[in-house]
Amino acid sequence: MHPEEIAPTPAPAPASLPSDWQLLPLRGAKLAALGSATGMAIPFALAFAALSRIRVLEFGNLFVMALIGALLGLGIGAWLGFMRHRRVSWKLDAEGFAVRRGNWWRTETRVPVSRVQHLDLKRGPLERGLSLATLVVHTAGTSMAAVTVSGLDGADAERLRDRLGHQLEQADDAL
Amino acid sequence: MDPAVPDAPPERRLHPWSWLFVLLQQLRQFIVPLVALLVFGGSSDRGGMWMTFGPLLAVGVLVLLSLLQYFTYRYRVGRDGLTIREGWLHRSLREIPFSRIHNVVLHQSLLHRMFGVAEVRLESAGGQKPEAQMRVLDMEHALALENLVRHRGQTPEAAPELAQAQADELFSLPTAEVIRLGLVSNRGMIVMAAAVGLASQLVPDRLIANMVEQSGRQAYGYASGLHLGWLSGAAAGVTLLLIALLLLRGLSVLLALVKYHGFRLSEEERRLTVQRGLFSKLRTSVTRRRIQAWTLQESFLHRVLKRRSLGIDTAVSQQAQGDDRALKELAPIATPQQCEALIQHLLPHAHWPRESWIGLPVRAWWRLFLPTALFMPLLAGVLLLYSGEAWALLPLLWLPWAAYSARQQARRHGYSVDDQLVAVRGGWWSRYWRFAELDKLQALRLARSPLDRRLGTASLHLDTAGANGLLPPLQIRFLPLADAELLYRQLAAALARRRLR
Repeated sequence: MHPEEIAPTPAPAPASLPSDWQLLPLRGAKLAALGSATGMAIPFALAFAALSRIRVLEFGNLFVMALIGALLGLGIGAWLGFMRHRRVSWKLDAEGFAVRRGNWWRTETRVPVSRVQHLDLKRGPLERGLSLATLVVHTAGTSMAAVTVSGLDGADAERLRDRLGHQLEQADDAL
Repeated sequence: MDPAVPDAPPERRLHPWSWLFVLLQQLRQFIVPLVALLVFGGSSDRGGMWMTFGPLLAVGVLVLLSLLQYFTYRYRVGRDGLTIREGWLHRSLREIPFSRIHNVVLHQSLLHRMFGVAEVRLESAGGQKPEAQMRVLDMEHALALENLVRHRGQTPEAAPELAQAQADELFSLPTAEVIRLGLVSNRGMIVMAAAVGLASQLVPDRLIANMVEQSGRQAYGYASGLHLGWLSGAAAGVTLLLIALLLLRGLSVLLALVKYHGFRLSEEERRLTVQRGLFSKLRTSVTRRRIQAWTLQESFLHRVLKRRSLGIDTAVSQQAQGDDRALKELAPIATPQQCEALIQHLLPHAHWPRESWIGLPVRAWWRLFLPTALFMPLLAGVLLLYSGEAWALLPLLWLPWAAYSARQQARRHGYSVDDQLVAVRGGWWSRYWRFAELDKLQALRLARSPLDRRLGTASLHLDTAGANGLLPPLQIRFLPLADAELLYRQLAAALARRRLR
């Protein structure tokens, strides 16, 4: 879904966000892939070096093996990051905010509007370059105390924050 | 502070002896370096005088700091909250509205009791540190403050003197029950393990090794002197083990007596207060509506004694002080009837002893067994790879028991949801019931693993505030997908409609 497809209506109107499942913008996928790839490369390199060291892998020297591991990790990480990114979708409806993730292990997390404690909108330098943003919805819970969606379209993220925050003002002490 | 307000109540100070308790608290933090300085510094010849007077100097500085804190710490009780001013060079002013204080803790150690004072802690939700820690107030002021916070937080009009007498006792533990509590708890074992761990840290390794070797040799010599047969040797071993277990249980009973002596749960105006302790007395309280989730537990030993325990989660910060002081146990040990009566009293709309539990199909027992069934062969395989000996297959012996246990657990698994309460139950050897009001649910998650998708099932996880990892989670597992989705949608709709109370 590209940002141009979202109707640019003014923020305070309650119907400014579509109320069905929204995919993250495709341009964020490369960031997700990059992040996941760098995350995977190092453990893979270490694992390959260790395997070469204890002679499970009999060919090449340590550094060649580590390099092969790193490249493999980069490839697998990028692919996983990309797929994971394409599997994230979000939805805002009258009942609250929901996020779907995953392909093999699928989860759908829902934070009712009345349970939102506070909201964070974060933009790293790379995200700013692509006009993306990360939204963190905090609840008073424990295992789901913060529901994070990164790679949201910047304008969507702001509208989400305003909508969720608007309802927050009317709510009472949550505990 | 604002001198313009004409009838502002006066600022108050802590108890004149409070510097002593602040000093003791600080000494507790510095005790290790101080002792090290005394022990290792005293024996060396170099810089003798400095080394001798160094610790004294340090203590002197600490005394000064404690006095300084006494002279700079003021508090004022306002209409809606407390104002606390402290510090000399670095000053801080803190306003705490009464309505945000979740818990008031009054703590009295033996020393506090000798001086007739108490330590007061005011806690709000979350965070690492309490909102305010008053070390120390004299008992009269402490009780007055406790009373004030309670009534101002709830009903600003209530006169403190009037409401004081209305506390109803809900539950108390006679000594026989405290002994039962000691018998079912593993606290003795935990303390013993901690002590062994500490000893191994502090005492040099060689000393322990020598001691073990020596006593082992002695025991062996003694045993071989007796010319025991194989059978009597085994019997002696078993006897020793039994004695050790008995001693540990005895220690547990002692610890339970120290901690839970005079346990009393009382209620006044929707606020629950627990009072307990033999040497150091503790009084802690929580409002009924701050209770986030409930846990009823019944271990095997509980069942033997026909008892259960009832605990609650609160959202109060629990990291501070080793979470020993938060109100977490409504009934550390009680008969099932007492537990049910308590729940019925505190949650009148919950229809508690539930009759209609929706269970797991018993043929789904293998899904509870699956993690063990995968892990144990893996463990045995790894052990076999490393040792190459037959004993490595011993973990496999656990499997039949685990399978039986999983079958029994599947029988007892269940959930029950209505428009007030979500409840789950489970376990077999040690059982649990866990429930929370719908109003207290914070977030929902519907999860499906590859296996779930193949079998057309799903799991529903419900999140509450203040839950900790040691308690069974509030989750409904292996539901048929249609049921899970329906429940998920219904709960989401119900939560969105309801305000948090």
